[in-house]
Amino acid sequence: MKHVIEGSHAISEAVKLARVDVVSGYPITPQTHIIEAISEYCANGEMKAKFIPVESEHSAMAAVVGAASTGVRTFTATSSHGLALMHEMLHWAAGARLPIVLGEVNRALGPGWNIWMDQSDSLAQRDTGWIQLYCENGQEAMDTTLFAFRLAELVNLPVMVVIDAFFVSHTFEPVAIPEQEHVDDFLPPYEPRIALDPDNPFALFQMAPPNVYMEMRQSIHRAMEHTLDIYHEVENEFDAVFHRRYGMIEEINCENADIILVTTGSATSTARQVQMDMEKQGERFGILKIKTFRPFPGKAICNALQKAKKVAVLDRNFSFGSGGIFAQEVKGALQVLSQGPVVFNYIAGLGGRDITPDIISEVYLKTRDRDLPPCGSEWLGTSPRDEN
Amino acid sequence: MQTLNISDVDFAEPGNMSCPGCGASIAMNLALKALGQDTILVIPACCWAIIAGPYPMSSLKVPILHTAFPSAAVTASGVRAGLDMKGDTKTTVVAWAGDGGSFDIGIQSLSGAAERNDDIIFVCYDNEAYMNTGVQRSSSTPYGSRTTTTPGQGWKKTRKKNMIEIMAAHGVSYAATANIAYPEDLIRKFKKARELKGGTRFIHVYATCTTGWGAPSEYAVKIARLATRCNLFPLYEVEDGITYTLNEKGDTPVDAYLNLQGRFKHLSLEDKAGIQNQVDKDFAVLKNKLSVC
Amino acid sequence: MESQAMIKDKPTFQGLTNNVSLYISKSHASSRINKTGSWRFARPVYENKTAPCSASCPAGNYIPKVVMHLSKENIHGAFRALIQENPFPATCGRVCFHTCESACNRGSQDQAVAFRCLERYIGDMAITENFPLDAKSLAAGNAGNIKVAILGAGPAGLSAAFFLTRLGFSCEIFESTDKAGGVMQWGIPSHRLPKSVLDHEIQRIVNMGIKIHYNHSLDAEFMTTAHHSFGAMFISPGLSVPLTMGIEGESHIHQGLQLLMDIQTKDMPLKQGRVAVIGGGNTAIDVARSLKRLGADPVIVYRRRKQDMPAFAQEIVDTEKEGIEIIELKSPVAVQKIDKGFILNLVSMAPVTEKGNDGRTRVMPVDNTPETMIFSEIYSGIGATLHDSWKADADAPESAIKLDHVDFHLKDIPFLYGGDCVNDVQSVTHAIASGKEAAIALSAYVDSGIDSVKKTVDICRLGAGKALSMEIYLQGERRLNSDHVVTDTEINLDYFTSTPRIEPGHIPLKTSVTSFKEVEKTFTREAAMAEALRCYQCGFCNECENCRIFCPEISITRQNGKKMIDLDYCKGCGVCSVECPRNAITMEEEK
Repeated sequence: MKHVIEGSHAISEAVKLARVDVVSGYPITPQTHIIEAISEYCANGEMKAKFIPVESEHSAMAAVVGAASTGVRTFTATSSHGLALMHEMLHWAAGARLPIVLGEVNRALGPGWNIWMDQSDSLAQRDTGWIQLYCENGQEAMDTTLFAFRLAELVNLPVMVVIDAFFVSHTFEPVAIPEQEHVDDFLPPYEPRIALDPDNPFALFQMAPPNVYMEMRQSIHRAMEHTLDIYHEVENEFDAVFHRRYGMIEEINCENADIILVTTGSATSTARQVQMDMEKQGERFGILKIKTFRPFPGKAICNALQKAKKVAVLDRNFSFGSGGIFAQEVKGALQVLSQGPVVFNYIAGLGGRDITPDIISEVYLKTRDRDLPPCGSEWLGTSPRDEN
Repeated sequence: MQTLNISDVDFAEPGNMSCPGCGASIAMNLALKALGQDTILVIPACCWAIIAGPYPMSSLKVPILHTAFPSAAVTASGVRAGLDMKGDTKTTVVAWAGDGGSFDIGIQSLSGAAERNDDIIFVCYDNEAYMNTGVQRSSSTPYGSRTTTTPGQGWKKTRKKNMIEIMAAHGVSYAATANIAYPEDLIRKFKKARELKGGTRFIHVYATCTTGWGAPSEYAVKIARLATRCNLFPLYEVEDGITYTLNEKGDTPVDAYLNLQGRFKHLSLEDKAGIQNQVDKDFAVLKNKLSVC
Repeated sequence: MESQAMIKDKPTFQGLTNNVSLYISKSHASSRINKTGSWRFARPVYENKTAPCSASCPAGNYIPKVVMHLSKENIHGAFRALIQENPFPATCGRVCFHTCESACNRGSQDQAVAFRCLERYIGDMAITENFPLDAKSLAAGNAGNIKVAILGAGPAGLSAAFFLTRLGFSCEIFESTDKAGGVMQWGIPSHRLPKSVLDHEIQRIVNMGIKIHYNHSLDAEFMTTAHHSFGAMFISPGLSVPLTMGIEGESHIHQGLQLLMDIQTKDMPLKQGRVAVIGGGNTAIDVARSLKRLGADPVIVYRRRKQDMPAFAQEIVDTEKEGIEIIELKSPVAVQKIDKGFILNLVSMAPVTEKGNDGRTRVMPVDNTPETMIFSEIYSGIGATLHDSWKADADAPESAIKLDHVDFHLKDIPFLYGGDCVNDVQSVTHAIASGKEAAIALSAYVDSGIDSVKKTVDICRLGAGKALSMEIYLQGERRLNSDHVVTDTEINLDYFTSTPRIEPGHIPLKTSVTSFKEVEKTFTREAAMAEALRCYQCGFCNECENCRIFCPEISITRQNGKKMIDLDYCKGCGVCSVECPRNAITMEEEK
């Protein structure tokens, strides 16, 4: 049955349905609603979990690292500065190979203080060893959270479920909330391969000298590659129960497109509308939505884009001194092609600014009307301002 | 003299990576005698992160969860939560951190756990500086010390943070100081802490580092004993942040302690007199708390 | 609490399982694979050393071991350790001048441990509870039942019999009087040594199978014939002839030694009036205190200063407490008889800077005008000398081996002289030393010939001093102890809080000066334990286990009741050595 709930609560509901054992949380806008709802479930008995109201995001991750090490299912959520503060423990969780699920609401980092949508926070955690799954709307947030637990526990890697600040987190949408029994069918009880136990003592996550560290890191890499291999099968399981699937990427009219717009998150929804309008006008316009950023499905992306003439990557993030982060990754994926499409990179919607249909249209037209991209990335919708 | 009665059942193993004469090793050996097999240790970055053994060794017979520097207390909270969900009530979760991981980078997480009254024992084994990284000052480093970041005439001019009072101020059920040179007292306190389940217990263990303090390794216990005998590190317990019990009364001038250690060798007679004066005042304050109760 | 992790009965997909590469930093070995012993520059070694008390005890008592047993309330063990070296614990516990206490390291912290009284406590317990002599652990070897004649049943002769019998010799004692004990029997008053105590300790020795011939004339004839019947002779005739002063009217002076003997053997009439006792040694003290008990008002007259008196310090203190005056720096020059008694003429003396040949303070007359004092009786207590009949015999020929407490003359059979006639200090404990040294020397001679005698005696020395140990001779564990004599700075005083010495106290003065009842009381059990706990047990591992408790490396363990240092792991930090309260662990440099 569908309920009209906000995106944050879609995640909270999924955490409850996943029968998570231990949740830690620390408030930060725009994530706070997720843990508020969970603490309420714990308080009223809807959810039989330990909720640890920690004193920082660093501790939020450390708490679930501790709990997950005993072999129970864990969740926490954060955003922006919170994720940045968590950075050390993100490495720890991944290096420890703990299947922790993190609800991450994309938000800009200060200064100046900015609580609105921006992907810089999660993308800055690109190299921590976390699986990153980006969601477009409330339903996808719900589904991806359930999916994340299954995936994490199959590959012993932590998973970040990423939603847009406000555009998803605070937006009320009809969301199908699955029945508990269906969730239980999809998500079996967690059976840890390693768990702390005084009857079988060992040291976990101890110092790893040079003779073994590299192999341990290679093991994480293998797990990421394994994730790409089994992702489809896990989706099959999900689909079998819930009759929905999202794919690591979603191709929208890519087969017939000369120009393919690469998007992530809620901007995809806006782009879908523009694409339909453009298609009606006879434009050969396709969209590639990237859901899975880590592991990066480079091969699938390459396949999807290789027939297009031009690719326009819309980045809601920026790597200072370089360019949009998705654009860099897409360019990297296309390297294998001898005559691949030209890649244009557009920066828009930082710090909560809207990505309007007009901006999407502008992206399309600017790409269509030029043979080659300008050097570097192109910032859209900015105007000159007085400087100090 | 009366002989010490200490169990010969050990939960630590030889072959660990500590420096010769490591007070922190002695502290762990004794503590585990009290804590027993049903213990999970959480160890952040500190000397013990190494002493416990690099891969693939462990020098302890109880499970160890290594965690990041700031996170000993909350990681232990997480372990406790996980065990609770598994229905394991017999296991004691113990965070085992150095002074840096307790007084400095770890104090936020420690304070958080104590305020939530999470069911853990937090142990600070105090060697009064960042020893694992090569003797840098911490907020536990006492007035007068030279370290590699308070060298030469830049020796530390500020006082050691009064950690047990900070913890007592959280109102935890049990906060105590202990000392490797007083093994029976130490073991009693760890047993007491183990039995006081249900909330946060804090034990501050004085653990000599002769390597970092510029003293012969064989004086590890002697120096620790003097710390208490000189009232630099009084042994006492605070229950519920209110009830104070003093376990040892010192009567030795601080010179006996200071003169054994290279880290204090630059101090003038006036400096030492100043330290004595401060120690006397601090001890008087402590004694006042005893009389209040 | 029901949890997700506990629900396991739901159907799940079979296709996907977690078989991913999972190589994490998780231990699977003990740190025992890491042999940290290779880091070591010095290794700890359990090494018992010599306690200063033991080294200074002429009888070589193994004091730390005795006290260790006592402190653990193992009185049998304490007695066994005592009797190993000393056949007269209850006697020495009363009359010994306790050099052990003067040497005691504890003296520099507060006060010496009252070992003499502890020894008496153990000795008395052995008597009242009739502890058996553990013949098995005491005996060692069989010297082919070589017969030894022992001349004189004093402390030296009895001790020689005790030790020789243990070594397998067959001993007969020839005693000129009708009682064994010698000076202990007739020279030491009952208020210091009750005869029942002495008799019990003598009987314990006799019960080992020793024959004593009483009232046996030890004349020249005996000496010339005895060696036909015996394989060796031990000769300890004692000093029986009182010294004379060579002053005018000396015939008016009574012999103090005779008085002491008479008190033991006769009913003595009560005395009265001021009585002079001349001398400064233990005899003078014993005579004066006996006279006091007989009703007289004795005064001790001594030619040197009070601090020069050879009598034991405590005895001097006790004597004065009993109200006996000591007149110092007065030397008798003549005695005259008058109606009411005797006039003693005395000259005043003063010390001079240079010392005498014997190392004692010399005094010279200040002026020759004597002063006079009147006494009802005058006693001499200046000591005794060897009877003339022994003198020529005892004079060592060049061939004699002069040991510390024995002269070993090899004639057709070995003649060993011991006791007061040889010792520079005449005491019961030195006499015991003679008996022990004679037994070791004779046994060594029998086993390996005359050349081995000195060597063997040297091996048995405690701390390279004069005291000998029978346990060492018998190859006991004590032989492993180092000769190093532990000093006070080598004791870890952190383990010993200052506590005053406990003493058993005396009976009330009123009672003591009117009878020959024993003056000094004995310890209660509690007091003995408490005093035993004061003892550092210098250099002696008493299994306190500090080494194990404080070892940072878990490298000290107990296997089959013995401590072991696992050198595979010991890093050589030395904490065990410092935390050993009593210096029983030595750090040795690695080579």
